[in-house]
Amino acid sequence: MPVLETQNLTHIFPDGTAAIQDISLRINAGEFIVIAGANGSGKTVFIRHLNGLLVPTSGRVLIDGEPIGKNITAARQKIGLIFQDSDSQIVGQTVAEDVAFGPENLNLPREEVERIVPEALAAVGLSDLAAQSPHTLSGGQKRKLAVAGILAMRPEIIIFDEPFTGLDYPGVVQVLRQIVQLHQAGHTIVVITHELEKVLAHADRLAIFCRGRLAENGAPENIVIRAENYGIRLPLRHGGTVGELTWLR
Amino acid sequence: MAPVTFFHCIPRDTLLHRMDARLKLLCLVLLSVAVSFAVAPAHYLAALCAVMAALFTAELPLPALLKDMKIFGVIIAIVLVVDAFSIPGPPIPNFPVPGVSLPGVVTGLRFAGRLTIIIMACAVMTGTTSLLTFKNVVEWYLRPVPFIPEARVAMMINLTFVFIPLIFDQYVEMMSAQKARCADLRKNPIRRISFIVLPLLSRTLRRTDEIVYAMEARCYSETRTRPRFKTHPADWLILAAAAAALVFILYYPCA
Ligand SMILES: Nc1ncnc2c1ncn2[C@@H]1O[C@H](COP(=O)(O)OP(=O)(O)OP(=O)(O)O)[C@@H](O)[C@H]1O
Ligand SMILES: [Mg+2]
Repeated sequence: MPVLETQNLTHIFPDGTAAIQDISLRINAGEFIVIAGANGSGKTVFIRHLNGLLVPTSGRVLIDGEPIGKNITAARQKIGLIFQDSDSQIVGQTVAEDVAFGPENLNLPREEVERIVPEALAAVGLSDLAAQSPHTLSGGQKRKLAVAGILAMRPEIIIFDEPFTGLDYPGVVQVLRQIVQLHQAGHTIVVITHELEKVLAHADRLAIFCRGRLAENGAPENIVIRAENYGIRLPLRHGGTVGELTWLR
Repeated sequence: MAPVTFFHCIPRDTLLHRMDARLKLLCLVLLSVAVSFAVAPAHYLAALCAVMAALFTAELPLPALLKDMKIFGVIIAIVLVVDAFSIPGPPIPNFPVPGVSLPGVVTGLRFAGRLTIIIMACAVMTGTTSLLTFKNVVEWYLRPVPFIPEARVAMMINLTFVFIPLIFDQYVEMMSAQKARCADLRKNPIRRISFIVLPLLSRTLRRTDEIVYAMEARCYSETRTRPRFKTHPADWLILAAAAAALVFILYYPCA
């Protein structure tokens, strides 16, 4: 049984924009999925349905076979979302306080919060910066902080919305290494990006969105050759293989 | 942004930094009340001693604080001059400037003394307390107040402190971007302001939407883990000292 499944998901905004239409996608436990698509193809809108931030116009989202509406807090705890813009995701005045935000929302005992926060910071390698203001962090560090804030809630599935935008080469490598580590630790990973050359080698599956619809969905090596039809740069040179598509070495 | 030492937490490991911020705030209130009752020079001396003691205990950089107090110096000088001329009474004997009354000068000096001491006390408070702790204290004091959702107020304070620098950065960036396109050649100031304010507002609103989503994604709730405070025995002694200053000023005879 898939951990996460959408059935005929459609979202039409009040202004009439059909941001996503009829999307059915299954995500299995432990999988690493890359979702690609041109600007405005509906990727962000889609993943915001996966933890109930947006309510679909029609269709539904199932978590472990149960409709998401049954226990929305449990869903949000289980499915961690890393936003495209880390700056709006950071709500703490210090790095440690920001990580504590989620556990405090869950009303965990203070002792437990004080145990979880250093663990989450250590997991992303930000322990030394715990007392700093998030404002002073680099782009890569901010994204790691967002990951720590999600890890502190012990999610099973972690979704990254464009985790590489605005990062320099070391920043991309840092974040990518983090993602791969999380996958190896047993998390189910969904990465949204159109920069396939940075990450596709690690993926089990590639899905491509086009104008709000799920256009392709399957093994990366079968799909990637058609990427250019959907406004995504073809990352392979002639004769190259998907295994080369990573910025980790 | 220019580095401001005033009203900014300066992390140190001192008695006052470790002090329970709830009691610290109470001390500040007691001291401010005491100073507002101060009349005789002995009163001012007592309050000044208390504040100076706090300032040295907190190891705050005095020269930097004095420099930042210049702006308040201007306000104090204006009030002093206005009081001296506007409050009626007998003139000061042998004073070269005509129209200056004795009660005016006395009132002005008292005001100046009060303001200086209160500002210094506030500087000690903010210099030894992080905004985070401050927010927690406000939340704690609001808890018994009915009809005020203290968790929400605390979150609002928190978000203000977190996002004002971001919005300010954005403002600076947009200003430079517009200068690069020669926006300063525009003569009409209202047009010029609207070019900044409207986009800034729309971007801030859009960002607000994102923040709301981000907070919801992390299960935002108002029944949350409460902050913890630690009270040391020394904190009660400091509170007692502040209370003693108040009692002294209330009961020591006016000269
Ligand atoms: N609140 C909204 N109201 C109306 N239309 C919206 C809203 N949010 C998004 N849209 C529209 O929905 C469509 C999909 O947007 P979405 O943000 O999901 O794209 P995306 O694939 O994430 O693109 P990008 O790569 O730029 O992040 C776009 O056409 C967008 O204009
Ligand atoms: Mg997007």
